[in-house]
Amino acid sequence: MSHHGKKQRTFLRLTVSQRIQHVILFTSTGLLILTGFMLLGERWAIDLFGSAGNTIFYWRGVVHRIAGVAVTLVCLYHMVYVVVSEEGRSWLRDMLPRLKDGVDAGQNVSFMLGFRKARPKMDRFTYMEKLEYFSVYFGMFIVILTGTMMWTEWLWPKFYLDVADALHLGEATLAALAIIVGHIFTVHYNPHVYPMNKAFIDGQISEEIMLEEHPLWLDRLEAEEATATAAATEKDVEKRDDA
Amino acid sequence: MINRVYFTVCCILSGVILLGAPNSVYATDDENCLMCHKYAGLGRYGKDENQNAKKRVFYVNEEQYKASYHGKLRCKSCHDGVEEIPHTDVEAVNCAKDCHLKDPSTGRDFSHKAIKKDLDFSAHGYKGSRTDEHMEDLPNCKDCHSNKAYQIGMDEQIASMKFIKICLECHESKEWTERFYRHMFYRASTRRSSKEVVALCSKCHADQAMMERHDLDVVVGFKDTFHGKAIVYGDEEVANCLNCHAPYGLGFSPHRVKSSRDDVSPVSPEHKLETCAQQGCHAGAKEEFASKGKVHASLQSAGRQARAGEEVSQAELAFQTWVLNLINLIYKILIVGVVGGLGMHRLLDLYASRRASKMGGHH
Repeated sequence: MSHHGKKQRTFLRLTVSQRIQHVILFTSTGLLILTGFMLLGERWAIDLFGSAGNTIFYWRGVVHRIAGVAVTLVCLYHMVYVVVSEEGRSWLRDMLPRLKDGVDAGQNVSFMLGFRKARPKMDRFTYMEKLEYFSVYFGMFIVILTGTMMWTEWLWPKFYLDVADALHLGEATLAALAIIVGHIFTVHYNPHVYPMNKAFIDGQISEEIMLEEHPLWLDRLEAEEATATAAATEKDVEKRDDA
Repeated sequence: MINRVYFTVCCILSGVILLGAPNSVYATDDENCLMCHKYAGLGRYGKDENQNAKKRVFYVNEEQYKASYHGKLRCKSCHDGVEEIPHTDVEAVNCAKDCHLKDPSTGRDFSHKAIKKDLDFSAHGYKGSRTDEHMEDLPNCKDCHSNKAYQIGMDEQIASMKFIKICLECHESKEWTERFYRHMFYRASTRRSSKEVVALCSKCHADQAMMERHDLDVVVGFKDTFHGKAIVYGDEEVANCLNCHAPYGLGFSPHRVKSSRDDVSPVSPEHKLETCAQQGCHAGAKEEFASKGKVHASLQSAGRQARAGEEVSQAELAFQTWVLNLINLIYKILIVGVVGGLGMHRLLDLYASRRASKMGGHH
């Protein structure tokens, strides 16, 4: 539905399964960032907790571990999902990097700088979205591996744990900042989606944004629809003929 | 006439005695030290061992003193001399002297002699210290111990109201019974929080100049470790300095702390594993866990001369530091590159959207 009062077409951007995966991913990641960076607090800030500090520290650890398990499970589930299910396979197929993404990136930058009249037409996932998506794989691999090492600390030499700690912290900092600058800004502060892109709630994307961000995908969906309608009409015709 | 003068003098004298000496003073202060030492302004500026001015307070708060560990002791039990006024004949307090108090477990005079001897042979004592120089840096009893009041928790205090009644069925003195109860419960609980232990050890071990004088590493990295952070939050489960360097469970005590370079030290390569695994802390720790690494990084760890008996060689330490620094550097570059790149892309996008809407080209 459009806020202009005029009925506008919408398309399914995120399925129910994808939305649930996303909710688990962002709640647990948020909790992990919060409870993780609590370990970097300066003494004066920690002292503000007063006598509750010990309890807060205990729950910090519990929540960090629960959220860590949740994020690990959702990542493992997602990796099965993109191979096994039909919608997952289509997701992964459209997500795989192509040569066109490089061309898109170059053309988009030159558009933004004012050297081109129009943005390059992009498909279901833009080069930025693909970059973000595969960064999550890379980041999750590192934090889950090093996090598991630190959880089973008695099995590892101290130096390996120091390395794990450095990687865990470095990757977490990178991910937290990348999410804030790269993702939150794109889906919340982009002028044409502000205050937020509601696709993560209802899964729908408006035709307006489709045209702006994913025109090639819109073409594909319309072509598919046309084929389906044609097939249905053909069936109807056949039915009538039979009758 | 003489009678009148005699009467007046008697009146003034009894007035002075009655006003100047409240009843409570007579209770324990039969030496009458509080006649002067009860005045809060009593003190003077003296000099410490380095000839620096030092404020010395001679005031004794009777109430606080009576509630303290030594509250039952007379002043002269510890302060030898003090026969002359002003006290020019006073000697430094010797904690290892025999007290007049009887040790109820042996019936003999109580003394801190044995524990002082342990301290003397420990890394902190003049006999156990590796060098013969800078003995003035070594801690004495008072550097760690002050004559504090017994502080027991509210729950124990409430419990004591009923419990002491039972004691008093046989024991006559209420004051003695309460004191005994407080002593037992105070000693049975942990007397110093981990935060206080870290602060106490840091008084010397975070002092770079002093550590250099003794060829020791300045402990600066502990506060950044997981143990260190947990302690700042108030966690009492994780290890503080003493749990690894002088664990009671492994037969050590803070008075018998050994140099980490000593073979018998609980943090020496031979004993480290046992120390890490004690009390189920890192139960099941493998040998690798307790080796090839530093628990808390220190300022001089890298780059200084190797020492005999040191577990992690200088080359190894240099390599480890190099690897960790490299990881940090790579992530710094990645963070600046990725986040900066994303930010630039965002800004460019905003700029492009603005331009488009200004030109009316936005749909």
